[in-house]
Amino acid sequence: MTRKTADGTGSGSRRIAGVLARTALAAGVFGWVGCGGGDPEPGDGAIKVGAIFDLTGPTADVGTDYADGVRGFADWINRQGGIEGRPIDLLYQDYGYQVDRAEQLYTRFVGEGAVIFMGWGTGDTEALRLRIAEDEIPFSSASLSHRLGDPGEAPYNFLLATTYSDQFRIALEWIAANHGEGTPVVALMHNASPFGLSPARQGGVEFAEARGLDLTLYEMPRGAVDYTAEFSRIRQSGAQYVVFQNTSGPAAVALSNARSLGLEVTFFCLNWCSNAQVVLLAGDAAEGLMGTMPYAPLSVDVPGTRVIREYLESTDGSAAGKTNAYTQGWWTFAAFAEGMRRVLAAGGELTGANIRAALETFTDHDMGGVTVPVTFTPTDHRGSKGLRIFRVEGGTWVPFTDFVQAPAP
Amino acid sequence: MSLECGVFHTRYEADMGLRPRPVQRIRLGVFALFVLLFPFVAGPYWLNLANQVAIATVGAIGLNLLVGSTGQISLGHGAFMAIGAYTSGLLTLHLGVPWGASIFAAALVTAAVGAFFGLPSLRLKGLYLAIATLAAQEIVEWGMTNWTAVTGGAEAIVVPAPVLFGVRLNSDFAFYWIAVLTAGGAALFAANLLRSRVGRAFEAVRDQDIAASVIGVDVFRTKLLAFATSSFLAGLAGAMIAFHRNIITWERFTLSTSILFLAMIIVGGLGSIRGSFLGAALITLLPAMIDNLGRSIQDTAPQIAAVLPYAQQAVFGIVIILFLIFEPRGLSRLWGNVKDYFHVWPFAYRRGESGAR
Repeated sequence: MTRKTADGTGSGSRRIAGVLARTALAAGVFGWVGCGGGDPEPGDGAIKVGAIFDLTGPTADVGTDYADGVRGFADWINRQGGIEGRPIDLLYQDYGYQVDRAEQLYTRFVGEGAVIFMGWGTGDTEALRLRIAEDEIPFSSASLSHRLGDPGEAPYNFLLATTYSDQFRIALEWIAANHGEGTPVVALMHNASPFGLSPARQGGVEFAEARGLDLTLYEMPRGAVDYTAEFSRIRQSGAQYVVFQNTSGPAAVALSNARSLGLEVTFFCLNWCSNAQVVLLAGDAAEGLMGTMPYAPLSVDVPGTRVIREYLESTDGSAAGKTNAYTQGWWTFAAFAEGMRRVLAAGGELTGANIRAALETFTDHDMGGVTVPVTFTPTDHRGSKGLRIFRVEGGTWVPFTDFVQAPAP
Repeated sequence: MSLECGVFHTRYEADMGLRPRPVQRIRLGVFALFVLLFPFVAGPYWLNLANQVAIATVGAIGLNLLVGSTGQISLGHGAFMAIGAYTSGLLTLHLGVPWGASIFAAALVTAAVGAFFGLPSLRLKGLYLAIATLAAQEIVEWGMTNWTAVTGGAEAIVVPAPVLFGVRLNSDFAFYWIAVLTAGGAALFAANLLRSRVGRAFEAVRDQDIAASVIGVDVFRTKLLAFATSSFLAGLAGAMIAFHRNIITWERFTLSTSILFLAMIIVGGLGSIRGSFLGAALITLLPAMIDNLGRSIQDTAPQIAAVLPYAQQAVFGIVIILFLIFEPRGLSRLWGNVKDYFHVWPFAYRRGESGAR
């Protein structure tokens, strides 16, 4: 018997080169594993803040502006000399709306010394909820799921805008008050996710019943480019109102779709599709669209938008094309920065527990007029309970009502 | 079992042995030592990744038994993991079943469900079977989000952390030992299965099912057994995810999870246990490594760092395509080539080529 080799082509030296070259691909990838993961740097006074953004995932349409808003605020406050003289070191990364990567990045940034965390989606915030509580990291998610504002369930989560179910109730209340004769029939078209179901599942259905509204839920499948089937069912149901709980992309597709089908109903957008993007994408079809918009777009002139416009003009960026998601990212971070400022001003140490306690002292904290003043208490982390309903007129969002409080569930 | 170059067995025991040569045992020993020491030197971030790799390895071994060894394509692996996760989580949460028992029970339940969804394999092959398993994925996904009474619907389910001898295993360090033991156990199980009668039957069905039935293999039974075994490991992985994260959300078990696991075994090497591990490690670590690269150049080359998140998915795709073109047998084969090279070093001796240059 002779020695056998696995494959039998090529000369000896070429074979070595080939094996090594192909191995290099694998080794290069695994080589990274060995290094990295360094210890937190010794304190240079910078306050580390962790953040995950969706720049590439299914909610990137609004996530990008939100991310820019958060980064913009960090840059702005560092130019102002930081928080009580200490600059912010924002540790951030795109996570593509994937729960696993959110967990990896959370672990990584907290390991690097982040004292607070700016989260994003409903799924990942839910998945991190217990870890956040154990690590004592004050956490802001752009997810406005109602129960994340309950300190009993999520002691370190803070909501900086009206929850989805409050927004939905505000919309339903407006419908009930302005409908006139007959039973108002409402269709909720929602994203196929916890985010999409949140307004209905967390009190919306009960509220609609109590106010005598006929509410039906319609799921918007991910990536759909046509909603004819859903709209024909909506037409048959005789709905006069359609509420979207989705991001601006799918909502714009649905609006154009409804227009081409000749559906004559009043459309409402909750938080994540009430923005300039939906108008840009849907064009004329967005005319008359109503939106529960907790954060004002930059076109509304209040101190809170003026500071952003000035910042954007002072850098090379321009305010044009920035949506209200930018305002939301900026002012959400700003509220947390104020909490940290209060800790430092009182001579305290920047621990999660101290920042949480400082945030819980917020009473009608002014948010520059972009949203209602924020109040946190040890038993309630739903910071704001009111908003303005906006309406698309002539291609821009204009305030349609004054600030309205969410009706009690 | 493939023959290794330059290896001669003179006894049947050695021929059947998993690691008959001393150098193999030394390598295994070095690897085991690394696994033992790793958690004491690694930070929480790397432990977290290691746990994800270990859990993904269990799932990938399961899928590889079905796809790589038996040749039955499945797009429903994510769904089977979900069944494992929900079963174990709900058993522990509502009935107070100890975590170890509920993980095992979940794996058994998943095996049964997997065998059920494997029924179409009696009549369907290849692409058609892929579509049938895709249906399984969709049905389970729909069930997870809409069967509110049981799964909580779109809401997350909170699972109590595993407790061992009165210690709550809620850290990555503690969970590491469970994860590594399970992954090692799964690998050992699969390696032994593949050299048994059942394992040979799997491979016979994959290579030529008609020929397999001619030599006395019950093809349908073998396929169902492959589905059940594969789903057992998927359920195990799912249950581990439930206890690792302490929270179950349906978003973790979507179609993209199924496809990711297929990517793992393709990149790692179809039909190879070592490949399952290498593929799981690569697919889990690659995005994290691209993230790290992006963060390390955030200051020096912000323009590149800014586009890196968008390039990430492309890089992911390119890696898979490169593997399919240059090494269809995956990372496992690459590693095999390295081993072979050093095994016969310094002679690159080949039959029929002796002396003739």
